[in-house]
Amino acid sequence: MLLIHCPWCEDLRPETEFAYGGQAHIARPHDPSQYSDEEWERFLYIRANDRGRHHERWRHAHGCGRFFNAVRDTVTDKFETTYKAGEAAR
Amino acid sequence: MSGYRLATGGRIDRTRPLTFTFDGRLYRGLAGDSLASALVASGVTLFGRSFKYHRPRGLLATGVEEPNALVEIDRGPGRVTPNLKAPSLALYEGMVAQSQNRFPSLAFDLGAINNRLGVFFPAGFYNKTFMWPRSAWEKLYEPVIRRLAGLGHSPTTRDPDTYASTYAHCETLVIGGGPAGIESALAAAATGERVILIDEQEELGGGALGEPTRWAWLADATARLGAHPNVRVLPRTTAYGAYHQNFVAAAERLTDHLRPDRASGHREKLWRIRTRDLVLAQGAIERPLVFDGNDIPGVMLSSAARTLALHYGVAIGRAVAVMAVHDSGWHDALAIAAAGVRVRAIVDLRTAIDPALIEAARAAGIECLPGHAVTGVSGRSAVNAIRVAPGGTGPARHLPCDALLMAGGWTPTLHLWSHAKGAMRWDDASGTYLPIPGTDPVRCVGACAGEWDFGSGMSVAALPSLKPAHRQKAFVDFQNDVKASDIALAVQEGFRSIEHIKRYTTTGMATDQGKTSNMNGVRLAAQALGRPIADMGLTTFRPPYTPQTFGALVGVHKDALFQPLRKTAIDAWAEAEGAVFENVAQWRRARYFPHASEDMHAAVDRECRSVRQSVGLFDASTLGKIEVVGPDAAEFLDRMYTNPWKSLVPGRCRYGLLLREDGFILDDGVAARLAPDRFHVTTTTGGAARVLAMMEDYLQTEWSDLDCWLTSTTEQWAVIAVQGPRARDVIALLVEGIDLVPEAFPHMAVRDGRICGVPTRLFRVSFTGELGFEINVPADHGRAVWEAVHAAGQPHGIVPYGTEAMHVLRAEKGYIIVGQDTDGTVTPDDAGMAWAIGRKKPDFVGKRSLARPDLARDRRRQLVGLLTADPATVLEEGAQIVADPGQSIPMKMIGHVTSAYHSAALGRSIALALLEDGRARVGQSVHVPMPHGNVTALVSSPVFHDPSGARLDG
Amino acid sequence: MVDIAPLTLAATDLAAIAEPIGRYGVCLSPAPPCNRYSLRAKDRALLETLAGTALPQRIGDTHNGYACLGPDEWYALLPEGITLPQTEGQPVSIVDVSARAVGLLVEGDGAADLIATGCPLDIARMAPGRATRTHYESVEIQLWCLEETRFHLEVWRSFAPWLGQALLANLPD
Repeated sequence: MLLIHCPWCEDLRPETEFAYGGQAHIARPHDPSQYSDEEWERFLYIRANDRGRHHERWRHAHGCGRFFNAVRDTVTDKFETTYKAGEAAR
Repeated sequence: MSGYRLATGGRIDRTRPLTFTFDGRLYRGLAGDSLASALVASGVTLFGRSFKYHRPRGLLATGVEEPNALVEIDRGPGRVTPNLKAPSLALYEGMVAQSQNRFPSLAFDLGAINNRLGVFFPAGFYNKTFMWPRSAWEKLYEPVIRRLAGLGHSPTTRDPDTYASTYAHCETLVIGGGPAGIESALAAAATGERVILIDEQEELGGGALGEPTRWAWLADATARLGAHPNVRVLPRTTAYGAYHQNFVAAAERLTDHLRPDRASGHREKLWRIRTRDLVLAQGAIERPLVFDGNDIPGVMLSSAARTLALHYGVAIGRAVAVMAVHDSGWHDALAIAAAGVRVRAIVDLRTAIDPALIEAARAAGIECLPGHAVTGVSGRSAVNAIRVAPGGTGPARHLPCDALLMAGGWTPTLHLWSHAKGAMRWDDASGTYLPIPGTDPVRCVGACAGEWDFGSGMSVAALPSLKPAHRQKAFVDFQNDVKASDIALAVQEGFRSIEHIKRYTTTGMATDQGKTSNMNGVRLAAQALGRPIADMGLTTFRPPYTPQTFGALVGVHKDALFQPLRKTAIDAWAEAEGAVFENVAQWRRARYFPHASEDMHAAVDRECRSVRQSVGLFDASTLGKIEVVGPDAAEFLDRMYTNPWKSLVPGRCRYGLLLREDGFILDDGVAARLAPDRFHVTTTTGGAARVLAMMEDYLQTEWSDLDCWLTSTTEQWAVIAVQGPRARDVIALLVEGIDLVPEAFPHMAVRDGRICGVPTRLFRVSFTGELGFEINVPADHGRAVWEAVHAAGQPHGIVPYGTEAMHVLRAEKGYIIVGQDTDGTVTPDDAGMAWAIGRKKPDFVGKRSLARPDLARDRRRQLVGLLTADPATVLEEGAQIVADPGQSIPMKMIGHVTSAYHSAALGRSIALALLEDGRARVGQSVHVPMPHGNVTALVSSPVFHDPSGARLDG
Repeated sequence: MVDIAPLTLAATDLAAIAEPIGRYGVCLSPAPPCNRYSLRAKDRALLETLAGTALPQRIGDTHNGYACLGPDEWYALLPEGITLPQTEGQPVSIVDVSARAVGLLVEGDGAADLIATGCPLDIARMAPGRATRTHYESVEIQLWCLEETRFHLEVWRSFAPWLGQALLANLPD
């Protein structure tokens, strides 16, 4: 079980309090109707599946309830950093 | 081998004799014995049969690495545990042990014919042989192989034991209670921080238990540990897995060492430990040597003979020989000789041996044979002699003995180090892999780190011999019966990676995970491949370190506590009324309320008729509820749901349809606008958590500028649905402060008021097609209000109805149930609910996807009704639909049945289905091929009852 | 109006934990009834005005029966009779959830150890006056540390019987 630093609680908490939320920094377009089918398909389905440094979303679901972003190494599972949703990618 | 109890020595209590049975025969042992030491002391040599060849096998080791002496312990009904290791079991009075893997008895085993046919069972035998014909697998090969090959019996009765678990936190966790572990724990304890010391044996000490000169130190160190209030010592506890960031799982055995009639409380306790620093002091395991006949009972690890003699006061035999390639064999031989065991000879493949060792051995009357190797072993169920040859290839000499000890060197126990992703390097000097200290706060100490004080040795794969390898019964993996020749064969057949060789030969894949075999396997593979062993690498260790019981892993999560069973405030009333329940998500819901002799069909028919003709009462408390509050609440719901919400006036409700961003239906429910900035949103029972999480996601990460908040109120409200033409008459007696006349309180309206003196949010909604109300009251009052409504409805013949009647009633109206009539590939238009889409809204979740070519195309599967030609036939939910039943198999499937019931209102069966181009097929016949024949059905509208909706107003 | 007997809390679903149980230095008992509110706002000051009290600022702190659970979220455990207003037109959310949860008091020298049987937090290091949402095995709870040996567990009502029984099942026999 991992320990995850919640940037809202400023505390290291057990993984079981968190929910994984997929790849980070994929913003929903302001006006999806302007997207072509191909662009919309990319938004819906296409993900990086990186080996190594991966930006991903987590939610402290059984804690403060807030979403945040993390950089985690998908090979070692180690978290490099976490930061609040809305902050620039690290 | 003819073991016996030494006159003195050991940590056993000679004043406390114990009796026990092994394979039905009565034996005697002493308090402090292990099952293995007591059996050896009684002269037992044969402990089990091997897995594949059913060869007779004796004790190899005195720790958890033991591959052969597996037993089944019977502690009473439901308490039979297979595959336990005889040397790890503390003996207790009355212990009942059985050997395994033999039929009909240990001494005479029919399966041993495999041994004679061994030449026909090479590596990959099963893969190569039992492939064809396919049907023979089920009928012939598998049953026979299973009967012959089993390792013990799975318990078939319920486990009557209970199990506990806990989390624990400490600054230092030490795994292994030998001298290195104890010293580490004492050092950490001095800081005042929290320390946990785990050891798998009956008492602390590890290797020191076999060294009487250290017992005084051990007693003192143990006492000093006990004096630290910040130290927790867990004996009889196996740390079986190390996970991320120093999270360790360990199982503590609380009662298995006690007489069953004196044991009480939890059988085991699972410890889930988070530690800042992890110290691995798990010691090292001695390696067997690979030579012809190395599995004959009486051939065992040298360290095991030492433990038997010095820890348990048991001599392994009356004439013992040692085959060593490591100094530790000499030390062991000298130690057991000093304890009174007659050691005849020490054979050592090495020519250069510490002269002091040779001198000491000779002084003890032991013949020394440096530069020699054992080339064969005589005996079937016990060793009676060995053959010894200079260099293994010179002229052989016959040497009578009744036990042969192997000293092949040492392998640090790096299983948990490997779980924790620790790195390792090959070390030529010690002939094994050693841990490379890393940056993580995990470290190995003592023998676990390769630091031992019993000298050095040579690194050897198999002992030299003139006999061709394929004719030798030279075992690498004793439990899985893998021979040196099997590994050579795997290499010959093209396997290169040690991971592949492992899987092809199954070496290291038995219940002991290759604790004694892995290094020899790697060494032999490297030799066969002509590669340096450092290039081979090790196979991956995975938890558990030793097999654990399911009970320990399950903890309290069994029987009634398997998972939370959520009950509503009204559940106890339903139970008292004799309701039959079903589980929906984690909720228990009343399915129907049978009268005395009614079956489900009769009860549901009666419940449905009552709702249609008079009035029924339904517990809808499990519906998910979310209170959406804030100035932007309507804007938020507008973006989430397909429907428009800003136009909804306070006091009114609307059916809402929620899509995923991919355009498919996710959930639905009625939402009420209580105030301009306050909505009461309902979801499906199973979708409550999912919907709330999705809404939070959008609100927090996409539209964080909106001022609105979500609060789950699912459990705040008990919901009592009162449905039927008499519904208003019933509640009118109880409600205060709400005008119930249709003009003041129309369909799809909501009002705050009081009922039975408590506050209520009263909805006028219907999931039955009848006049209906849903009374929301704080859950505390749910039961009392329910009973009051039930009483008030008696003059109207009110009946409680369950989920089954609810399903029938809604299906008669063509109302979908998300997850039953939809499956994650259904769009609003497919479900016939294009009307629920707010056409003027610029955007909502899933809107863009509805324009994707596949979702907008013609001939998609659409929700329709089906009326079977025979009105008595109720279709199977999930059944496939075809246009032409005469076509050849496989048929082209054009849809499937999603819901099917007998309808009391229609006096016939009805069904809902998703059917390709379904709406265009209304009036046509389709076919549902079933095992007993074809069912023909007419495609209809999904609304079977009251299509105009006139009955909604009662 | 029909005549209706006075309504009381239906305790049948909480039967398993309705009686205080003192064993092994732990006493488990139902917390007294109270009013519960979920309070949300981006502007804490506005909520403080509406609630008529200062609110804790740091996530995990408590003050006067209010816990700060998240950056914009507070939870109130108030004595019966003390109510908060239902607002309209303000950028806040105050929702009465009094009946949503029940409270469980865990007291005694073994209290932290008992909660730790299923809660992964380092409870021995939790300071009195702190509160957080977390979980006990698969059940979400709120854990309020009242004193070193006294904890209040908030749990949604339908999970309460399971929670109470699981805690008891993890006690040594």
